Amino acid sequence: MDKSVIFAVAGSGKTSLVIDRLSLDLRALIVTYTENNYRHLRHRIIQKFGTIPPNITVMTYFSFLHGFCYRPLLQLELDTRGMNFRLPTNPRTPLSDMARFRDGSRRLYYNRLAKLLEMRKCIPAIRARIERFYDCVYVDEVQDFAGHDFNLLLDISKAKAGMTFVGDFYQHTYDTSRDGSVNKSLHDDIIKYEKRFRDAGIKVDKTTLGHSWRCSTTVCDFINAKLQITMGAQHERVSEIITIEEPEQAATLHADPNVVKLFLKEHDKYDCHSLNWGASKGMDHFEHVCVVLGADTWKRYRNGNLHEANPQTRNRLYVACSRANGDLYIVHDKLFKPFKKAR
Amino acid sequence: MPAITKLVLHNFKSFGDLTLQFDAGTNVLIGDNETGKSSVLLALDLALSASRSRVETIGYEALLNQSAVRKFLAGPARLDLLPEVIVDIFLEAGDDQGLYGRQNSTGADSDGLRMAIVPLVEDFGGTILELLRDNKESFPYEYYAVQFSTFSGAPHVSYRRPVRHLLIDSSRIDTEYAAREYTRTVFGFHTQVPDRHRLENQYRQGKEGFQRDNLKELNATLVEYQFALRTSVRSNLETDLVITKEGIPIENRGKGEQCFIKTNFALQKHDARGSLHALLLEEPENHLSHTNMKRLVERLTRTQGTQLFIATHSSHICSRLDLRRALLLGTEQKAGRLKDLTESTAEFFMKAPDNNVLEFALSNRVILVEGDAEFILLEHFYNKHAGTTPQSDNVHIISIGGTSFKRYLELGKLLGIKVAAIRDNDHDHQQNCVENYKASLYDGARIFADESNERSTFEIGLYLDNQKICDGLFGGARKTLTVQDYMLKNKADVAFELLTKKPEELVAPAYIQEAIKWIRA
Repeated sequence: MDKSVIFAVAGSGKTSLVIDRLSLDLRALIVTYTENNYRHLRHRIIQKFGTIPPNITVMTYFSFLHGFCYRPLLQLELDTRGMNFRLPTNPRTPLSDMARFRDGSRRLYYNRLAKLLEMRKCIPAIRARIERFYDCVYVDEVQDFAGHDFNLLLDISKAKAGMTFVGDFYQHTYDTSRDGSVNKSLHDDIIKYEKRFRDAGIKVDKTTLGHSWRCSTTVCDFINAKLQITMGAQHERVSEIITIEEPEQAATLHADPNVVKLFLKEHDKYDCHSLNWGASKGMDHFEHVCVVLGADTWKRYRNGNLHEANPQTRNRLYVACSRANGDLYIVHDKLFKPFKKAR
Repeated sequence: MPAITKLVLHNFKSFGDLTLQFDAGTNVLIGDNETGKSSVLLALDLALSASRSRVETIGYEALLNQSAVRKFLAGPARLDLLPEVIVDIFLEAGDDQGLYGRQNSTGADSDGLRMAIVPLVEDFGGTILELLRDNKESFPYEYYAVQFSTFSGAPHVSYRRPVRHLLIDSSRIDTEYAAREYTRTVFGFHTQVPDRHRLENQYRQGKEGFQRDNLKELNATLVEYQFALRTSVRSNLETDLVITKEGIPIENRGKGEQCFIKTNFALQKHDARGSLHALLLEEPENHLSHTNMKRLVERLTRTQGTQLFIATHSSHICSRLDLRRALLLGTEQKAGRLKDLTESTAEFFMKAPDNNVLEFALSNRVILVEGDAEFILLEHFYNKHAGTTPQSDNVHIISIGGTSFKRYLELGKLLGIKVAAIRDNDHDHQQNCVENYKASLYDGARIFADESNERSTFEIGLYLDNQKICDGLFGGARKTLTVQDYMLKNKADVAFELLTKKPEELVAPAYIQEAIKWIRA
């Protein structure tokens, strides 16, 4: 049984890799975190097979956690009514008390459900369930697994089935869930992160998806240099990195419907073709991209220490820059202030 | 084919708790009236259909076990004591993870479907308590709801039925609802979904065409208001379809013929996708002539790929389809025991001429006799020597003809039936009536026969014990045969004549009196 985690760079074809490996012969379960990616994967499967074949199941992580792992095993016993997606406010409640996991209206706290399964000794049954119905399990967006969810993932990866996890450490922008200090520092250090997989018997593969189909050599080099995130390009393709200094240039860009403007936040206030950095994740259809930097990041950009920005900002900036198929524009948000609407 | 392996009922109709194991092929449900044969089929039908409206039409009041309701009303009015109805259908292991889990009453991992009728405590707890306080006699049925789920805990929705089934209930066979329901289901599994939609669309277009072309002239004479054809859920292809045989809609045929045609049509073989997984037949013998019943049974035995569930009162259907497939329903809960019958005995009942095996299986106490003569006189002897009728003692007298005692004894042993078997000694009491049954007898079974080898048959014993009456009745002008020989040659006639002409004086041979005494004890 091959068990590996494939670390990918932006635009290197994560989804394609998963889709290419699917066939009508092997029973496959695909788990992904975001609804966006879930729809995208379903769409791609339908493109490949014309339908969702009966041997292939796509689930979002929480429908997997609740519908596949929890519900078949414990729902009647614990008499629960689905999940509660708000954070619990009882950090002191002991693990032995069901109130730690289940709220007053018998809903399960989403961030502790994985822990509950462990406490209830359900791991062997979940593995058996995977083995009975699937030959291989794919987990997309694996970098978003955090808190108890990450532990559960490693636990169930020991099931006798192929396990292929795909993700991009630096595209870690959201967490599946968090609970106190559990795995709090998981994403702080890529070396330690990779070790967690190796220790669980999962091979770490950084070459298969190390090169981007989307970004030009120029953009890859830019990301390597400025963000210190290793990224290769599939094509020897050159484009431009253009730093905007003049208001007139900024106005032209603002008005250009062919260039998407990516903001840290509040993109909808600028009245143009735009998105927030985080929300642009997974998108592949932009030719030229304009990344709008705030005062702090602009300063770092100028001083050449962008890579020392806090990891969350750095990761989102990486997502934003790597959207570019063609040219990349960098601009200070003060040049966009004139277009910003007051609330 | 996802075969149904087990059914677990809790508080469903007359059943407090019931578990039935099913065979992947044929299952024959037998039982007395009111033992719940139909309830078992209904439970399967409702849980497989996952139709809320069907359940609501029948009503929670009719589905919830009444003794559970009475028990609740007699006890403290606590929400946690409100009874629930559970129907768990266990299925053979399949490929769909959505059916698999332990969300069932046994807690075992299995594929399956569940129907639960539960009180809505979360939503109406307060109201229910108030209601119970105000009127201790009334049960809060209005605050119950039905839920359909799979054993993985996921909702089970009617459009994704993993087990395609059909219920043919011959007692409702000519109601309009049953006919439409049948046509719809059969149409459903004879066509693939896209074809069905295409046909429906074409039908609607045809109607529109008629409206456009044929109603045009009429409508042209009208100004403000126009005639048009109805297109709605109550008037579409599915509602207008009928099934015909030789050009005659089967609804216009007799009930018996309908039952036969419907069963036959439903069982026609299709490619794996379209076939019927389970056929539920409710008392198919109703309205069927003996000949048609034989045809039906013959059709059923040829069934492949469809699991059969047949509720029946007919010995013919039950034994011809292999007694080992029979599930006995009754107060004693002997369900499922007939499968332990030996193969040769099961074969015997399948091959033997029409027999009373069902009557036997459903009895608690039985007197078995060898032939018609004994049968004719035995009830009279019983009345005379017991001073009451066998019916009031719940004793059945069954004539089984020939020497199949051992077969019945095997069945009796399995079902714990008290059996008095009355037979002739045929000149060797020790051999024929003692040694012969050594292996077959059990605590509740005894052989009764005359110990004197001279009194080798019933007629000889009867004659010797009632010589005067017999000589008087049958002596007369007889020349060639002695009275004894005449009686031996005309057994049934003689018995009948004795019964009608001299009932008062007639005495039973001692071993028969013994048998009657023993069976009553």
